[in-house]
Amino acid sequence: MDILAILKELFAGVLYLASPAGLKTLAMFVIAGVLIYLAIKKDYEPALLLPIGFGAILANLPPVIDAATGTAAESALGEHGFLTVLFNAGIANELFPILIFIGVGAMIDFSPLLKDPSMIFFGAAAQFGIFATFLVSLVLIPIVLPATAGDSSLILRLASAIGIIGAADGPTTLYVANHFNLKDYMAPISVAAYSYMSLVPVIQPPVIKALTSRKERMIRMNYNEERASKLALILFPIIVTAVAGIIVPMSAPLVGSLMFGNLIRECGVLERLSKTAQNELANLVTILLGITIGGTMVAENFLRLDTLLIMALGLFAFVFDTAGGVLFAKLLNLFRKTKINPMVGAAGISAFPMSARVIQKIAKEEDPFNFILMQSISANVSGQLGSIVAGGMVITLVSMMLGGIW
Amino acid sequence: MFKWIPSLAEAVVDALPTAEPVAETVVAEATNALVELPLLTKGLLTTLMGLLGVFLVLTLFFITIKLMQKIGK
Repeated sequence: MDILAILKELFAGVLYLASPAGLKTLAMFVIAGVLIYLAIKKDYEPALLLPIGFGAILANLPPVIDAATGTAAESALGEHGFLTVLFNAGIANELFPILIFIGVGAMIDFSPLLKDPSMIFFGAAAQFGIFATFLVSLVLIPIVLPATAGDSSLILRLASAIGIIGAADGPTTLYVANHFNLKDYMAPISVAAYSYMSLVPVIQPPVIKALTSRKERMIRMNYNEERASKLALILFPIIVTAVAGIIVPMSAPLVGSLMFGNLIRECGVLERLSKTAQNELANLVTILLGITIGGTMVAENFLRLDTLLIMALGLFAFVFDTAGGVLFAKLLNLFRKTKINPMVGAAGISAFPMSARVIQKIAKEEDPFNFILMQSISANVSGQLGSIVAGGMVITLVSMMLGGIW
Repeated sequence: MFKWIPSLAEAVVDALPTAEPVAETVVAEATNALVELPLLTKGLLTTLMGLLGVFLVLTLFFITIKLMQKIGK
């Protein structure tokens, strides 16, 4: 082997970067860098964006060519690559979203909702964006992506997953996308879901301010500090699981795992398990979920027109979910004597507890003595329930429209 | 006195196999009707039924909480 061939083999990775495929790799490195920058510098959902960004770098490294055979060797991807193994072990079989929900359930305190159950309707109203986006997607997908035209099954399935992005509920979005076998679209869908979730403090305030007057944002709401009874806190997750499981069976895995985590928290005899679910389990799965999602961001699957469409429609869904909650609160105020601060409606999305905190922050900017955090938390936990139920409804209805084969 | 019961049970059991295919046919026809709808109609149906479903389920949760509050008092 002459010296030139040796050098060529040594620097095969560098040479690859100069090729057209290599330029795409560089573009993915830049995108990964932006995600890592947002995580570290801007503190936007760092537990997710950092692993996703790093996973994207791993997934786009130049292929390793086996000198002996001249074929591409196994790396982070490939049949036995660790990112593929993680994908098959945790996302393809819907395990990671379920485990995440056990952790989330253990973190949620339903007490504010049990004291003021009327807030639960904001969790339903704020799912409006999901369905609005679903409809818009049905129109836009065949136009922007002509390759999908004629394949009504793909259009319906893709529109479902894009709509769910608006719920600001990453695990449910992944669950729906995976259920409808949208592996090729998993990367943009999950990146949109998680990045918009982390951008709640940026996206929600302008939408809320555009739809409310200063006077409305200053509305104060009474709150009873008393905690809900222990029996109610124990019965609630059990009854919710049974009701949701009977009426929307497709939501049972998500509702069940969320409520199982919550029951561990509220039963009072599983303190150790509750802490494990809230910390170790949630953290461990978050690490694996993040890097696995990043691993799906392979240039050839990501640098496409559909990614832009999914990101744009995801933002549309997010904005309309926020707007749906605010407008529903304003509608209720037309009939109520004691007015609701309409900003609370915007907390009906599922980004828990970030959305509630954002609402409280805006309320405080308008009136430093206005405290609507607990009401916002109530709407926020309702949003968590609402988004799961909406996910289950979408899976059930779209499966019916497709002849029940999904 | 109750000798007629076994014969009635047999009659019901005999009737079941014919009843099941009828139900299956009705479900299959309804499913086919949905599959053959235009894409946008499917979308509108999903949207309406989906929103209604979410409100219905959360209303049931609301009633559950209200009932628990009453029991607690």
